[in-house]
Amino acid sequence: MMDQVQKYHAKLIRQGLVDTQGAVELYGLDDEIYSNRDGVPEAVSALFGRLNINSLIIARPNPVQWAIIQELSRINQTLICPCDCESLTFIHDIPLVAHLEPSAVAQALNRRKGCIVKDVGIVTTGSVSLEQAFISLSSICFATFVKFFVDCLNGLTGFGARPEARSLDMLSSVMDTCRPLEGVNTLSRVVPKSEDAILESLDQTGKIVVDRRLVDSFFGNISYRDAGIIYISQTGSSLDELPGHIDRVPLDGSSTCELTASSELLAHVRVYEHTGDKAILHGHPRFSVIMSMHGKPLSFDEKRFVADVPVVAGEVGAGRHGLVHTLPAAMEQTHAAIVHGHGTFASSPGTVSEAFDALSAIEHLCYERYQSLMTKYA
Amino acid sequence: MDYALQVLYVDLSARTARQARLDTEISQRYLGGRGIAAYFLSRNATISALDPQAPLIFAAGALTGSRLPAAGRMIVAAISPLTDTLCSCSVGGTLARELRRAGIDMIMITGRSQSELVLRIEDGAVTFEESTCAASSGLEDIFSGFKGFKGAVAAVGRAAFQGCLYANIMVDSTFSSGRGGLGRVMAAKNLRALAVKGRSRTHVCDSQAEELSRTDIMRLFDAAPAIMGRSGIRNYGTGALVDLIAARRMMPTANFRRTYFEDSRAFCAARIKQSMEPGSYACHGCPIACKKKGLHEIPEYETLSHFGALNENSDLAAIIEANHICNSAGMDTITTAATIACLAEIRAERYTGAALVEKVAGIAEGTDELLPLGSARLAHAMGKPWTSMSVKALEMPAYDPRGAYGMALAYATSTRGACHLRAYPISHEILRKPVATDRFTFAGKARIIKIAEDLNAVVDSIGACKFAFLGASLEEYAKGFAAVTGLAYDTQDLMRIGDHIYTLERWINTQRGFSVKDDSLPERFFTEEGSSGAGIEIRPIDRAAFDEALQRYYRIRACGPDGAPTKRRREELGL
Repeated sequence: MMDQVQKYHAKLIRQGLVDTQGAVELYGLDDEIYSNRDGVPEAVSALFGRLNINSLIIARPNPVQWAIIQELSRINQTLICPCDCESLTFIHDIPLVAHLEPSAVAQALNRRKGCIVKDVGIVTTGSVSLEQAFISLSSICFATFVKFFVDCLNGLTGFGARPEARSLDMLSSVMDTCRPLEGVNTLSRVVPKSEDAILESLDQTGKIVVDRRLVDSFFGNISYRDAGIIYISQTGSSLDELPGHIDRVPLDGSSTCELTASSELLAHVRVYEHTGDKAILHGHPRFSVIMSMHGKPLSFDEKRFVADVPVVAGEVGAGRHGLVHTLPAAMEQTHAAIVHGHGTFASSPGTVSEAFDALSAIEHLCYERYQSLMTKYA
Repeated sequence: MDYALQVLYVDLSARTARQARLDTEISQRYLGGRGIAAYFLSRNATISALDPQAPLIFAAGALTGSRLPAAGRMIVAAISPLTDTLCSCSVGGTLARELRRAGIDMIMITGRSQSELVLRIEDGAVTFEESTCAASSGLEDIFSGFKGFKGAVAAVGRAAFQGCLYANIMVDSTFSSGRGGLGRVMAAKNLRALAVKGRSRTHVCDSQAEELSRTDIMRLFDAAPAIMGRSGIRNYGTGALVDLIAARRMMPTANFRRTYFEDSRAFCAARIKQSMEPGSYACHGCPIACKKKGLHEIPEYETLSHFGALNENSDLAAIIEANHICNSAGMDTITTAATIACLAEIRAERYTGAALVEKVAGIAEGTDELLPLGSARLAHAMGKPWTSMSVKALEMPAYDPRGAYGMALAYATSTRGACHLRAYPISHEILRKPVATDRFTFAGKARIIKIAEDLNAVVDSIGACKFAFLGASLEEYAKGFAAVTGLAYDTQDLMRIGDHIYTLERWINTQRGFSVKDDSLPERFFTEEGSSGAGIEIRPIDRAAFDEALQRYYRIRACGPDGAPTKRRREELGL
């Protein structure tokens, strides 16, 4: 279990979710507690005693993220209700607790996978592995970030309650630091000719997508189509850890090995059918998600645009209201689209590198749009 | 909230029935389904399985009749004549719904009728009717005898009356109380069928909150590839697992002597779908509809794999026919196939195609002496006990433990013998839900298995389907539970109840003489390699690592090194 503790400790720092070694405590429990800390605080022992879990993370997010969470906590008092699609599906809502007092924290964690303790940070749990606690923490950061920026934007532009001056001050003070990361795309632009080359290109692209913070590790998916096979990331795989986690799926449905493939497999299949492309990349770039939510909620059969990028509705998966019914047609001309409150899909006829370029460009565009709207209305 | 279960006590010897409201505290502590069944079985924990006074229990889940998805199941429970452990089986169909409509949460049947009976519960009246079934009747004939009846029927077939120790109870003709020979218990009571019909609606305390939970759960089903994905069980049934388990090189083959079957594509789900175009049907209130049927029932994954790979048989028609015979006579397909594979190893023979069908028919017709007793008794009688691939005399399902170490531990600790469903580690070790774990390590698995056992004790007590948890979690079902029952239980309250139920089950087995010596796997898995290949190495399980994980599990479960719940823990739980 110590391996897991070290792995997720490093990941939290590498992905910028926390920015110092001291800001995070990770605990894994089998028949004894393993931790990155010396000794186990009484409150932590009490929480393990009250909850049938095997993993616990207590973390103070990076300063910008923490300032956003504190501002939302001030406004919402007891419960933060996220508005983005993934959070609605998987974490539902985020309870707020005043202090790291075991009975109060346990009460919140009895209901949900994670909570915010106002003077401490985010507390999350898992009952299978530390990865669950890591994912919940990452999701809470994403959900609160998106909610804060969406609420401010919609409030200022007449689609919600006008934000308080204090919120706007905070927004303008953090806006610059939230700018999408810049960098040269070093990915190969040579069309892969072998299975090994395909897997290598998916691996390299996955890593750069996470490094550029265009997805919070666990979410997102990637695929490449070649000779009747789709090579696609597995469900719940981290884009920065793809080797060994790519499924090889025959397009004709002749094998059910794809049971472990991404929940968006069918959307990828349909996008390939509509576009004829070879590569698809899906990430959750924050400002793309935020800008997709600017305005009235989008109904299932509606479409709107951020610049020339279509925004469509659709839930995760292939259900009746799944994005599989809206996304593929929207991508036919543009080879990219944002799913409302969810994330961006980009496809390319050549390499995943080109899809990465598109995803990144859309995020920069959305950030600029957000900034100019704030300048105009604030 | 006054949550008190309604129990119908039936004495077949005296032909009497009495309905009573169970104590509120007991009802709230055990919820329904598997929990309440364990409570009643614990009251006479050392009774012999086939003693007339041994109870046979039918208990509806606490959510049965609600609008929550995949929550219409029930539990059938008794002491198993095959394993001598406590045995509870989750069953689908409509019987649970009809019970609740009849105002009954649980039926406890004791005694033994002098003649073969049908127990009928209809519009508040309980009647004992003489059975008119011929001894050789197939279950199709028995169920067609209830053709005009608008309720639900559970019945046993000829295998149960012929003494087959793994005879099952069939509900609505196609849903099975699969394992452990509960049909034999029912036949020993001379009870051929139970027919139930009710009229009342299930009371839901907060239907608005129920609807919110339903929406949350459905959204998660839609997002789960294993449920609603293109190759998910909604589309293909559990047969969808054939290709995946084969690819992971953990498909039990030739009585677990190998872990890869070259011809598994012969019975894979895609082939079945293409050649037979089966339709789908579901348990009451289930949007997944994992059951598939063509001309005959399409076998589940375990059945496909065991009548296929375990017996080195690539004849799909023979697999379907073998499954059909089992369903008609009322026999557990896993034990049937595994016992035949065991015999094949002992005799150094192979039973494939028509020979396999002939063996199955021999059990169904009662012409074979040893096969109806299960592999443990058969292997012992033939002087080769090591060839029985079972734990506590229950045959192992179609996941080789050398390919998933959580599964290895779970087979050993399961309270009903080698069962994949008590902890269902396939969920994270293979299907990556809720997150993936390393299948080739015991690290962390002791607590994971313990938590999963607690969870599934709750799942079986509220009447939910385990497949639902490949998408949703107890977090969503707990909110639904509170909405339906009015009991303000949250996730951890329910998990505490799950821990209590599992500990009680383990305590019942302890009183029946089970201990650490029984919580193990057949020697083969510690000494023989599986079929490595395609970059996957299937090594023997390290005995020391397994034993260490088992002792860790005991400490986490508050058991002593002998596997028995500690005195302190028993006192805490009032056992």
